[in-house]
Amino acid sequence: MALSSIDIGSQLVNLSSALLLIACFAIVTLRRLSSCINVYILQSVFLAMTAALVAFFTDIHHIYISALLTIVIKAVAIPLILKKVIERSDVNRDLEMNVNVPSGLLICGALVILAFFITQPIIPLGFLLTRDSLAIALAIVLIGFFIMIARKKALTQVIGFLVMENGLFLGATAAAYGMPLIVELGIFFDLLVGAFIIGIYTHQLQDTLDNVDTSKLTTVKE
Amino acid sequence: MSWPLFLLIAAPVIAGLGSLLVQQRRAIEVLQCALAGTMLATAALVAGQVIAVGEVFVGDFLQADALSAWLDLILGFVGSSGTLYAVGYVGEEMDRGHLSLRRYSQFLCLFDLYLATMLLAVNLDNIAILWIAIEGSTLTAALLIGFDRSKAALEAGWKFIIVGSVGIVLGLFGTILVYYSSEHILGVSNEALRWSQLYRVAAELDPAAIKAAFIFALIGYGTKAGVAPMHTWLPDAHAEAPTPVSAMLSANMLTIAVYAILRFKAITDRSVGPEFAGKLMIGLALLSLAVSAIYILVQRDYKRLFAYSSIEHIGIALLGFGIGGIGVFAGAWHLMNHALAKSTAFYGAGLVFLRYNHKSIDRVTGLLGQMPVAGAAILVAGIALAGMPPFGLFTSEVLIVAGSYTVRPELAYVFLALLALAFVTLLYQVLRMVLGAPGEVGTSLGSQCRIFTSAAVGINIVALGIIGLYVPPGLETMLASIVKTFGAGIMAAR
Repeated sequence: MALSSIDIGSQLVNLSSALLLIACFAIVTLRRLSSCINVYILQSVFLAMTAALVAFFTDIHHIYISALLTIVIKAVAIPLILKKVIERSDVNRDLEMNVNVPSGLLICGALVILAFFITQPIIPLGFLLTRDSLAIALAIVLIGFFIMIARKKALTQVIGFLVMENGLFLGATAAAYGMPLIVELGIFFDLLVGAFIIGIYTHQLQDTLDNVDTSKLTTVKE
Repeated sequence: MSWPLFLLIAAPVIAGLGSLLVQQRRAIEVLQCALAGTMLATAALVAGQVIAVGEVFVGDFLQADALSAWLDLILGFVGSSGTLYAVGYVGEEMDRGHLSLRRYSQFLCLFDLYLATMLLAVNLDNIAILWIAIEGSTLTAALLIGFDRSKAALEAGWKFIIVGSVGIVLGLFGTILVYYSSEHILGVSNEALRWSQLYRVAAELDPAAIKAAFIFALIGYGTKAGVAPMHTWLPDAHAEAPTPVSAMLSANMLTIAVYAILRFKAITDRSVGPEFAGKLMIGLALLSLAVSAIYILVQRDYKRLFAYSSIEHIGIALLGFGIGGIGVFAGAWHLMNHALAKSTAFYGAGLVFLRYNHKSIDRVTGLLGQMPVAGAAILVAGIALAGMPPFGLFTSEVLIVAGSYTVRPELAYVFLALLALAFVTLLYQVLRMVLGAPGEVGTSLGSQCRIFTSAAVGINIVALGIIGLYVPPGLETMLASIVKTFGAGIMAAR
């Protein structure tokens, strides 16, 4: 492969990784749950795009399968499950947050810097094409974690978790050229089952509590 | 190919799906008893094979070395007594009309699948598939914890799945970092994820990446192991889950999470030396001990009491592994004895809960007189868990104190002080429950339930007594090769 094509490839992979990161920031600012899910779909599409780019520039064909699975499971199946759960409950009103939007964005900015700082010593090790994606992947994982802490409603915590998972997939496909196929299949399977179980849980919590607000989940404590 | 290893993992899957299909109580009971026997026998056979030849394989992915076989013994043994206990416990709930036959078979099916995912996790020669199996155990456990569908159980289950999933995502990030650095040497393939290969090339792996990977793995799997400060899900889940599940969470799931940390530690030690991973583990271990000692003191709920005691004991085991050398021996010994003692304690606690239908320590007295089996279980397990002879936890704690003294005398003093605090408080709480005159009458248990649960308690107490008195020669061989996996540890570095 000519050097210039690696250059272009690397730029494209970085660009689409950055799009994933921007989607994270969008989720932090959005107040409605259904819009959060829409952005999550968009982010998953970016993820699939990144994977396809990596597959194209490296000629590792099984990453195409992983890109396809990303679309099927993350952009279609999981959002469908979540939207079904929302329909049955009344959580789609304005979401309460523990942190307001401007300070939330500032914290996320700080998390991105932190992620670059942590991965600095490791990055030179990576493949030339994709090595900066590792820092972005870690940043997305950290922001996902922050979303889980910052939101009060149970379902938005799920969004935070899914964002974290997207960060991981970016780390695996972009930074490490994809895990072996059997591993990816297993991870997708776990993720899908996890989404189902979380759906079951929110449904049952809905039945026992009137509103799935995790700040009201205080029956079990010291 | 080693058929016992294959059968060990396949048997719970077959029995679980079988229970779901037959939908007939007597048949399910027979199936589960057969499962208990099979797990016990195959775990022993796997251990025997490993002692004889070192490592056994099934296909491309399943592999058991001494450390895996050690975990097989723990999971197989506690899993089989746990299956018997679950049959008795859930059967009693069904007799009382709390559960339909359909829910009864669903519970046992999930329970068996849960055991299967854990048995699978410890026999894999692949760090990423290990992650998949452990995540599988998180998902099945989440369904089991919320099985009652009471408000408290759903809350505890929700907390477990959220905190546990976040933890495990961090664990996967650690796994990816290992892969990120190993694929340059071993190529973009499954080889780059195999323990055996990673051990071989560990010295060539990038130290910075391995350090970061270990930190992520320690936090991630540490969350599942209930290590402070990531332990917040643990007391709720243990207290609200149906008691057979609490016993399995504590005895098996925490243990396999420690196992995952150990696999990463073995790579890290070979790559950057034992100091780095050892110090981190010692720090978290002391924090866990401090947190649990304080909460054991103020506990009013007997299931939470044993839950906090689990945090303590996982901390002690981590301390041992962190020290290395003799500490590894003691840590592995501690994990086995803790699994037996803690499941016994929960078996007793479950019987008490079935009788009184509350979990308040203050309202439970005179168990030995009123419920001899439950009383004996809680008393024996309490003495063992407090760290008194003649039980194995005494031996391992003494060895860890000795080991930590050679690393740093202050470490031994802090450890001893925390151990003493937990000893006094746990023993006080336990004695308060078992001695004295019976308080309440409660609902007496059906004979069916009594037979199964007494069998489970009996098996555990006998095993606990035997390995308390001496280390059987086969186990000694296994422990010696586990110690070899980790090298000399911090002790020798000084």
